Amino acid sequence: MKVFYDLSWYFKQEKLRYGTGIFILMLVSALTLIPPYVIGLVVDLIDGQNMTQEILIYWMTILAAVGVLSYILRYIWRILIFGASIKLARILRSNLYSHFTKMSSSFYQKRRTGDLMAHATNDIRAVEQTAGAGVLTLVDSLTMGSFVIITMAITISWELTLIALIPMPFMAFATAKYGSMLHHRFGSAQAAFSALNNKVQESMSGIRVTKAFGYEEEEISAFRSQSDDVVKKNMAVARVDALFDPTITIVVGLSYFLSVAFGAYFVINEAITIGQLTSFTVYLGLLIWPMLAFGWFFNIIERGRASYDRIRRLLFVEQEIKDVKGAIESPPAGDVVFDIKEFTYDGEKGLFDIYIHIPRGRTLGIAGKTGSGKSTLSRTLLRDFDIQKGRVLVEGQPLDTYEKDALLTSIAYVPQDHFLFSATIADNIAFGKPEASYKDIVKAAAAAGIHEDIIHFTEGYETMVGERGVTLSGGQKQRLSIARALLLDPEILILDDSLSAVDARTEELILETLKKERKSKTTIITAHRLSALNHADEIIVLEKGRISERGNHEELLLKNRWYAKMYQTQQLESELEGGGDNA
Amino acid sequence: MLDKHKHLMHPLPQKEVLKRLLVYTAAHKKMIAAAMVLLIGGTAADLAGPILVQIFIDDYLTPRNLAAGALTALASAYLFLYAGSAVMNYFQSYMFQKIALAIIQQLRIDVFEKVEKLGLSFFDQFPAGGLISRITNDTEQVKELYITVLAIFVQNIVFLVGIFAAMFYLNPQLAAFALFILPVILCVIFLYRKYSAVYYAEMSEKLSDLNARLNESIQGMAVIQMFRQERRMNREFSGINQSHHNAWLKSMKLDGLLLRPAVDLISILALILVLTYFGITSFDSPVEIGIIYAFVNYLDRFFEPVNQIMQRLSLFQQAMISAGRVFRLMDHDEPGPVQKPKKDLKIQDGNIEFSRVSFSYTEGERVLKDISFQVKKGEMLAIVGHTGSGKSSIINALMRFYEIDAGNILIDGHSVDTFPENELRKNIGLVLQDAFMFTGDMKSNINLYDQSISEKKLLQAVKDAGAETFIQKLSGGLAHEVGERGSTLSTGERQLLSFARTIVRDPRILILDEATASVDTETETEIQKALERAREGRTTIAVAHRLSTIRNADHILVLKEGSIAEEGTHETLIAQKGIYERMYRLQKGGG
Repeated sequence: MKVFYDLSWYFKQEKLRYGTGIFILMLVSALTLIPPYVIGLVVDLIDGQNMTQEILIYWMTILAAVGVLSYILRYIWRILIFGASIKLARILRSNLYSHFTKMSSSFYQKRRTGDLMAHATNDIRAVEQTAGAGVLTLVDSLTMGSFVIITMAITISWELTLIALIPMPFMAFATAKYGSMLHHRFGSAQAAFSALNNKVQESMSGIRVTKAFGYEEEEISAFRSQSDDVVKKNMAVARVDALFDPTITIVVGLSYFLSVAFGAYFVINEAITIGQLTSFTVYLGLLIWPMLAFGWFFNIIERGRASYDRIRRLLFVEQEIKDVKGAIESPPAGDVVFDIKEFTYDGEKGLFDIYIHIPRGRTLGIAGKTGSGKSTLSRTLLRDFDIQKGRVLVEGQPLDTYEKDALLTSIAYVPQDHFLFSATIADNIAFGKPEASYKDIVKAAAAAGIHEDIIHFTEGYETMVGERGVTLSGGQKQRLSIARALLLDPEILILDDSLSAVDARTEELILETLKKERKSKTTIITAHRLSALNHADEIIVLEKGRISERGNHEELLLKNRWYAKMYQTQQLESELEGGGDNA
Repeated sequence: MLDKHKHLMHPLPQKEVLKRLLVYTAAHKKMIAAAMVLLIGGTAADLAGPILVQIFIDDYLTPRNLAAGALTALASAYLFLYAGSAVMNYFQSYMFQKIALAIIQQLRIDVFEKVEKLGLSFFDQFPAGGLISRITNDTEQVKELYITVLAIFVQNIVFLVGIFAAMFYLNPQLAAFALFILPVILCVIFLYRKYSAVYYAEMSEKLSDLNARLNESIQGMAVIQMFRQERRMNREFSGINQSHHNAWLKSMKLDGLLLRPAVDLISILALILVLTYFGITSFDSPVEIGIIYAFVNYLDRFFEPVNQIMQRLSLFQQAMISAGRVFRLMDHDEPGPVQKPKKDLKIQDGNIEFSRVSFSYTEGERVLKDISFQVKKGEMLAIVGHTGSGKSSIINALMRFYEIDAGNILIDGHSVDTFPENELRKNIGLVLQDAFMFTGDMKSNINLYDQSISEKKLLQAVKDAGAETFIQKLSGGLAHEVGERGSTLSTGERQLLSFARTIVRDPRILILDEATASVDTETETEIQKALERAREGRTTIAVAHRLSTIRNADHILVLKEGSIAEEGTHETLIAQKGIYERMYRLQKGGG
């Protein structure tokens, strides 16, 4: 019941719907008591040969009225109660989504997309069930159950009622029990299914290996045993699932047996009439649903509570980076200074003793091995995390004196792992500036060296990207994400190893354009392939988070250290790669 | 997507789907028959209860004829029938589920087997996401279909038929009247089916939009935040959320109009019909009260099955579409190259010859043009060229992943398609540039299902591949569980593992698809050393990027647009003063 308390904010907010809905639900419960009463009455009239046409018409009209009225009321309470629960689902989903947009990268590193999706789908569904079916089963089992029992006891016989009810609690108990067993087993069946899913995913991605080694048969038999497990886990579900109906049959059968046996005794003693006995059994039939509902109710709120707790825990995660009071609202523009004594993250790796001054309009190149801290250094500008010892300044002010929104207005960052949305190419380029004109979009695309590719697609800039659309190569995706950043014409542009999948000639073209178009603006480029850094005004080489070499391209070549060696090797290898072109 | 795969997106027509689904039940004929017998028995026993009560009321209670023996017999029959019905119903329900699961497993294995045996061209061109969901999600839907049809539809229909049978037994005339309920119910079912198909399709479309947007946003959150589009994305999401909400509300209203409330209304109408009938009959002659009891009781139970069936209808329709897609995929034929094996033909030395080989992926677009070369046992051929020059196509052709258009590929003088498939797979070892890692430990990733590989041989292969050092550093060593897609290992480490995986099988021919990806110097040296050891006594073809590999090759091919632009040994190529020479000069000048 705790979940109802936790959700009380919503019940209060929707008190009119819930209040009316519950009232109508009770009304419907009361109406369902009428037909059995009429049955009893008619049976007695027939039994006593007292039936007349008028009486028959009278009661049948009442029945018809009850039927139509119930139909309307049933429809209304559904709209009210289920409608409210659907609305709750919508509200929670929107809250979660907007909460997600506030979470920083560390939040996403700790959680898998699949899990977050599960919270936003399954958990919300369970809460929705609690606020809908949960309320229904509670109200129905209590009102309908008590109405029926009270009617049976008052209008027929309380002794017979007590006797007939003996087996009933067992049904509520059993369905609750089965329900929770089912839930657990269903959980492991789901797990087995998702293991099967992973297996298929793996098989399809690894098909080349399988074919190369000729292991199709083995893959098939591995799949077979995996799917055996799915069957086994599902059979465990079926074993419990199959218990429901027989249990109901037995309990209800016993209940009927008791009421007919003892009811007959009461009829003979003339404590009740035969018509009353008939309506008694019909009332008994009406009790099945409240009993089942009572069992279900506990399952629904058990799941609802766990789910709602999970959702709340997610919503309680605090925003990591918050603006300080009085932060500068205008986007910064000017020199960039990295002044970092020590910055560690994830325990070990980090940056040490880094001082770099980039005058406005200059380009900084950052080189180094994988894991040397290139990406981390460039990302400090984004203020994804706060630096322990040291600071990063833009326009002479530390980053945290700016509102984050203002800061990001000045910066465009192109990450290594390009991410595109399932939208048109134009929409993807204009992602950061949806109001951009077509001309600007084309200009950005041309600057990123992707325009030619785009106009070759049948639908040009309106081509869809993603599973349902065209499949882009890694280089094309990279260039699209560069275009996306260039469209903003940002004060500071960061290319974080984002030219790696672009061929040498296109790289050259992009760098040339950047140089021309961004004369008065700051650019930071990190790269594994050093040809991307040639043009930079200053290049620093990182090794284990420290600066090991710095200078411009020519100076670094003269030093003949890591940079120079790496540069030469890469030059040769690119000759080989492009070898055919020059032959 | 290619045109030849487009038909896979459209499900088979329903009629055909039903036929195919029926074929799958054939293997379980006996079990289905047994379950049916139990079902009919259980239903009959269940439905006999009210008749016994009717007999009790009319023959004993009303005339006050309370013979103890007869009553005991009736009572025990009643209890026995209920117990029997419970037991039979438990087993039939269990059996139907078992049959459904067995069928679905067979279907899954069939489709997986079919897909696994398709040629590589299919996988290179059909989106993997769609393929995976055919094999898992769509078959899961089909499972619902079988469970729904077998367990719910069959059971409930038998139950309904049983109720009518009992009613006819009690009072044929009234039962005939009661038959009038059927058209009313069918009419409601028809209406519901018609509208729910539309509403549910809309709702499920909106739901998938919603989930797709959510999934995409979570994955692209960094980009959204970077470009400060949170507010816009929130707004758009709210829009999708709202339209999903509206669609849901609409289908809920439909449910409210045509499902339970409607069936409840019909049940009251049926009750009115029955009571009126008995009432009118009673004007002329006495009516047996027990029969009224039984009729009312049956009516009470008549409508739950109707509800059950109707609730499953929309699910049923969705599942039919899924089944249609699964069968489409099963019907798709795109086999890999077929071998015409000569019995017992073995690869002895592994000498390879390409003789005027031409090859294309799509008709008319030649990716290899008239390629000829030879590599002998113990030699290494390096293939150099930019992306799209046809390097990987040579591997695809030699591995028999694709059929060539013209020319001949010979191994030890025999055409490559005359070897038994097994012989080829065993003796051509492919080292992929990014070793695909399967779930499991390091050991199983090296022996890849082949249990016949001895521990000793495996350790030796690990050592030869130079993978020993890094494997020892892993917790558990060879028993180390590889993370998702081998994410815990570096590219270089994965390549060493790929090496071990290949040489443990001791192939005569070694094919290397070398990575350009950044590996640190240490690993590069390891890879180099491993290659030196591995190529001994084998024929080696390397698609090479690293200078160290290329310089060590006995023969070098420079490919350009599918043709050989330059070839020779390191020395002859230098003498030729082509690209290789320029490259070499550059190196000397720089170093």
